[in-house]
Formats: sequence, structure tokens, C-alpha cells
Amino acid sequence: MATIIDIQQEKALQVKNFEFTYAGADAPSIKKLDMPIAKNAITALIGPSGCGKTTLLRSFNRIHDLYPGNKYEGEILFNERNILTSKEDLISLRIKIGMIFQKPTAFPMSIYDNVAYGMRLQGIKNKTELNDRVEKALKDAAIWKEVKDRLKHDANGLSGGQQQRLCIARAIAVEPEVLLFDEPTSALDPISTAGIEELVVELKERVSIIIVTHNMQQAARVSDYTGFMYLGELIELGRTEEMFVTPREKLTEEYITGKFG
Amino acid sequence: MNLLLDKLFAHMTKFIALAVLLIVAWIFTKLFQQSLFSMQASGFDFITETKWAPNLEKFGALPAIYGSVISTFLAMVLAVPVAIGVAIFLSELAPAKLKSPVGVSIELLAAIPSVIYGMWGLFYFVPIIRDIVGGVGISMLTAGIVLSIMILPFMAAVTRDAMNTTPDILKESAYALGGTKWDVIKDVIIPYAKAGIIGSFILALGRAIGETMAVTFVMGNVHKISADLTQPATSIPVTLANEFTEADSPIYYSSLFELSLLLLVISFTIISIAKFYFLRRKRIGA
Repeated sequence: MATIIDIQQEKALQVKNFEFTYAGADAPSIKKLDMPIAKNAITALIGPSGCGKTTLLRSFNRIHDLYPGNKYEGEILFNERNILTSKEDLISLRIKIGMIFQKPTAFPMSIYDNVAYGMRLQGIKNKTELNDRVEKALKDAAIWKEVKDRLKHDANGLSGGQQQRLCIARAIAVEPEVLLFDEPTSALDPISTAGIEELVVELKERVSIIIVTHNMQQAARVSDYTGFMYLGELIELGRTEEMFVTPREKLTEEYITGKFG
Repeated sequence: MNLLLDKLFAHMTKFIALAVLLIVAWIFTKLFQQSLFSMQASGFDFITETKWAPNLEKFGALPAIYGSVISTFLAMVLAVPVAIGVAIFLSELAPAKLKSPVGVSIELLAAIPSVIYGMWGLFYFVPIIRDIVGGVGISMLTAGIVLSIMILPFMAAVTRDAMNTTPDILKESAYALGGTKWDVIKDVIIPYAKAGIIGSFILALGRAIGETMAVTFVMGNVHKISADLTQPATSIPVTLANEFTEADSPIYYSSLFELSLLLLVISFTIISIAKFYFLRRKRIGA
């Protein structure tokens, strides 16, 4: 069975006996999965295509609920509460657990409005507060200098890397507790990628981060913990520096040494 | 040999393509030529004069222009909100089971020839209007409503298609920030699809303003400007459809041609604007 190390520090999320089945599928895409997610740390999810890593990530903010017929079983505990129940308030859940996608997704509006969007959804109208928080979020996302003179410009005029940092600014502006990154650099060039990675590492002081990546070097560079998934199961979860040097499971070793993938 | 065939084919297609251009130019020139007499006789009075009295050789197109503008305006005011509502329902709210039957029937509705809308309007819709608002039932209001029903399916279908081009990942991003369905529709989907939506509205507007058969039945061909929408009225196409057979003097004949030239210019302008919107493409791919 799976090798899962005991995480001593506080946990941001706790996955327990979790199963996920897509609408119309015969078999679950994630099977009986247990996984602790450390607080204020970066947990990377790696594994070959179709292993369920993105499916698991998208369960944490229940974005699967946008498409009818998907089924969750088991528990995901967040602040000691199971978020998989039908009475969970998905809007406040998604404010606390933000998400960054594979491609930059700037909304068709100005740079300023993009960052202010999440706050406005919460009903914040005070101009000074919005201005301050937009500026802070853009600074935290290391993009303030590049955009401060063109906040009113269309966000789609930014480069891919800038747009992705804008999306990060937008996500942190609502002060989430957890940030989910779904292959955030897969559409970016190496320089933008390095910028995003640096940013992710800085962010862990304030948020807990889960990052799905198909790039093992990226997982090794940024994460504190790494989970290796295969065929819908978590094969191994360990401290990143240990797992890439001395994996305990044979499958993990074969994957990180490039024997399959 | 093959090279020769290629060349022949290229020339043939070029000829056909140029023929289209030629036909447009031909129509325009002919309309212009035939209008000249009326232009010289009436001058600018043609579009400012409110009296259309062929027996007195007085030709004021303002009532027809007014009728075209007001009936089209009415049709747009009635159809736009409904079309947006239907499109939102079909692209975002409808369960999968309902999406395709409703979508297909809307496309079928768009395929109904306009003369049928006119007949249906005259025999079954006019009496209802007469019962509700009084008068003879044949009126500006009836024309506006029939027009709105006619352009609605096209508008709804194109608006839905435009909304469907919004990448899922963009919608998910807004939901992931805590947006509700309504937030996502108004802040992401509609702004994203705006160019396509406006394009469809303008094309529908172009269709409404040039529409002849659907309104000829229900408008009345009365050259009078009345603020009362329940009164019979006329529009440019309605006048053309009704009066060519009666045009017994050269000036009458030429005036009708000038009227058609006017309609052509208006339609061209509208289609050009629509083209401008449709040709603008969005950056984020699915």
C-alpha cells in the first residue's frame, strides 16, 4: 500500500478515504485516497497524465460541481469541517481556497478590475480599500512595477507571464488560506516560469499551496512535500528532498527516474 | 496540361467572384440613374417632406423612413432582451436534455420564410392586437411585434453561439473566485462574447429594416406620421412592394427608385458596421 509520511506540522487540508467519479464513468478516477496537506508549505502533486492529480486538485475547491453528475465520496477536511457535504457554501469555500489555472485567464476587463474582481464579488465597494488591496496584491505578485502606470488598460494586452502573475494577484487579493495551482507554468516560457516559481515559494508564508505539475524538476525546486499519484491512487507522499533522492516505493523510483510517464 | 487546367480554373473563379462585384455595382448604378429624375425634382425635400401624394406629384419619403425606423426600433427593443435571455438559458442554464431540442427548434424558427410570418401576423395576430389595444389591428405596433418575432430566433441563436465560445477555463476562474452563475454571466461571458452579440444584433437590425413580406401584411401602407403606434403606417419596403404597380408617372416611378436607393444605403451601412464587429477576434483560445 501507499507510503505516506506523518506530517508533524499543522495541516491545511486532510483528505480521508476520498473517491471521485466523473459523470457517466463506470469506475472512480480517484480511489480510496488518504492525504494530509501541510499548512504554510508547498505540496506538489506529480504523476503521469490521467493519474488523477488535477482531478484531486479540482476537488479542493469543488470546481467539479460546475458540471452535473460528478460524485464525491469520503471526506476532505478543511478547518476541521468536511467540505464535501451538499450544504457546503461553495462561494465562501472558493474565497478561502483559490485557484490558478494552466493558462493565464485574465478577464475581459482592465488590469485593475481584474484584481479587484474577487473583492467586488464580496461586496467591497470602498474605493480606498480597493485601491490599497489591489496595489498590495499586485506588489505581492511581483507585477506592480510593470503595470502601475497602466492599471486601466485591458488586461489582455499583457504578456502570458504577466497575465499569470495578474491571476495570482487576483487570487491573493481575497486573502485565501489555500491556493491551488494547476500546472501554472505549462503555457509559459522558461523566464516567466522561473518568476512564477519564485513567487509561489514566497507566497507559502501566508498561504498553504498545492501545485500540480507535470514537470518533476519544478516539483523538486519549489515544494516541501511531494505526492506521487498513479492510476487514481496516492502511491507515496514524502518530504520532497527525501523523495527525489530515496523514494520508498518502487513505482515512485521508476517514475522519477524516467522509466515511464 | 494540368497546369493549364489550374490556370483555367483560377480564371473561372476570378470571373465569378468579379461578377458578384459587378452585380452590386450594376444594381447601385441603376437605382441611382432611375432616382436622378426624382432627386432633381424633389431635392432634399424628398427626405424631409411628410406628404406622399402621387396624384399631386408630391413625394415626401419621411413617413416611410419614420415607419422603417420606428418599426425596426420597436422590433429591436422587444427582441433584444428576449434574445439575450434565451441565449443565456441555452448556453448556461439549460440542462443538457433541454439544450439541443430547444436549440434546434430556435434554428427551425429562423428558417421560416418571412411571408409566412406576414400571413400568420395578418390572420391570427392582428385580431389579437385589435382586441387588446383597439383600432383596426393593422398598425405600426403589430409590424414591430411581428418583426421582433421574426428576428428573435436568429439573434438568440447567434448570441448563444457567441456565448459558447467563452473558454471553460475563463468561466472556471471566475467561479473559483467565489462568483455566482449570474456574476460569471454578466462579468465574464457577456463581455467576452460582446463583439459577436453586437454583430448579431446589427445583422438582425439590417434584416428588420429591409424586411418586406412580414410587414406588408400587417402595417397598412398609410403615409402618415403618427405618434400613436396603434395607427396604420408604412415603411420603405412596404411602400415599394405596394406601389410599383400603381406608378403611372415618370416622377412617381423615379421617386420609388429613390426610396429603394435610400434603403440600400441604410442596409449597406448597417451590414458594414456588423462586419466590422464580426471581424474582430478574441485573444484567449479555448
